[in-house]
Amino acid sequence: MKKLFNSYRVLALLVGVLLAFCALVAMPLKYLATDGGDLQQFGESASILWVAHGWVFMIYVVVAFLLSRRARWTPGFTIVALAAGLIPLLIFWVEHKVTQRLRAEHPELAPSGTVA
Amino acid sequence: MPAVGPRPLRRLAPVPTLLAPRFWAMHLLALVLVAAAGWLGTWQYDAWQARRAAEASDLTRVDPLPLDAVLGPDDPFPGDKVGQPVILDGTWVPDGTVYVSGREHDGDEGYWVVTPLAVGGPDAAALPVVRGWVADPGQAPDPPTGRAELVGWLQPAEGTLERDQDPSDDVLPQLRIADVIQHVHQDLYGGYAVVADRAAPGAWPVGANALNPGTAGLAPATLEQLPDAGRFTALRNLLYAIEWWFFGAFAVFIWWRWTRDVLLDEERDEDPAVAGQ
Repeated sequence: MKKLFNSYRVLALLVGVLLAFCALVAMPLKYLATDGGDLQQFGESASILWVAHGWVFMIYVVVAFLLSRRARWTPGFTIVALAAGLIPLLIFWVEHKVTQRLRAEHPELAPSGTVA
Repeated sequence: MPAVGPRPLRRLAPVPTLLAPRFWAMHLLALVLVAAAGWLGTWQYDAWQARRAAEASDLTRVDPLPLDAVLGPDDPFPGDKVGQPVILDGTWVPDGTVYVSGREHDGDEGYWVVTPLAVGGPDAAALPVVRGWVADPGQAPDPPTGRAELVGWLQPAEGTLERDQDPSDDVLPQLRIADVIQHVHQDLYGGYAVVADRAAPGAWPVGANALNPGTAGLAPATLEQLPDAGRFTALRNLLYAIEWWFFGAFAVFIWWRWTRDVLLDEERDEDPAVAGQ
């Protein structure tokens, strides 16, 4: 459970950062910055990170699904948690929520230091 | 709970339960998701192939090079120059004209019309040049004579085990140098060229600017071998394709877990002994 929980948090953070960067930085630059300018070029080449996002998201979906079964999330929350990898910034809130809930139900998952 | 003898830990309800109408929506959803992911993956996969093919055909429109900069008379064919446009300047060897059978043009089977071009002087080594396509060798115009200057796409010589069944006629099953050489009196290059009907912008001897290209009355021949696209060309589309198929497989996995849950629930409902677990 602890391993799954930690993997989930790392993956959620990665997916969240990649998605936020791609959707909120690279994409606007690619399409809105002056055509051919430095910023537009940067946006264009940075768009390759969409692929990285897709692949990390694949792993995230599997881990989140396994965690959802282990932690007995409701189907609704499971769907929100899975889809959060596709909606910019939502995943940070979901990750926070998941961490809170799991720590409440499983005291052993509290941050290291407070529980031996 | 008293022991009631050995029993399977998890006895599932019979499968037909899953066919009950109230589950149809879930089955349908699973089918739709799998079909959508499969289709999206195929779409990306096709895009990957299409973009690679497009790049390969773009490579045939790089600036033409003089033939001797790419291939000498005795050189082996350079593997990275498949489809390279080359400028050919030489003299036709009309007596060496051959017809290569089994070539398609717009879905019709016909023949390539091939005349060697002595590069340099009339007795110099010659490069077989595919001038075009014709449905029947009898309809082919007379081969050109004299000097010619044109752009051709370089192709490696063909060579399978298919032998020329009748060496006495001018029809060959393959553009094999060993077969063509029976029809000329000089050496041949280790490849052949297809007359190019287009080239990169510039003052190249192509199309109307070509000198005596011998293409009149013939349909253009298509390239047998295109250059290889770069390894990373459109890689992103391939990665997306794999992703989509993965999500399709994941949808199947979730559906399968769900059917197990349904069957377990049914079992609990029917068997109070399990319900307490």
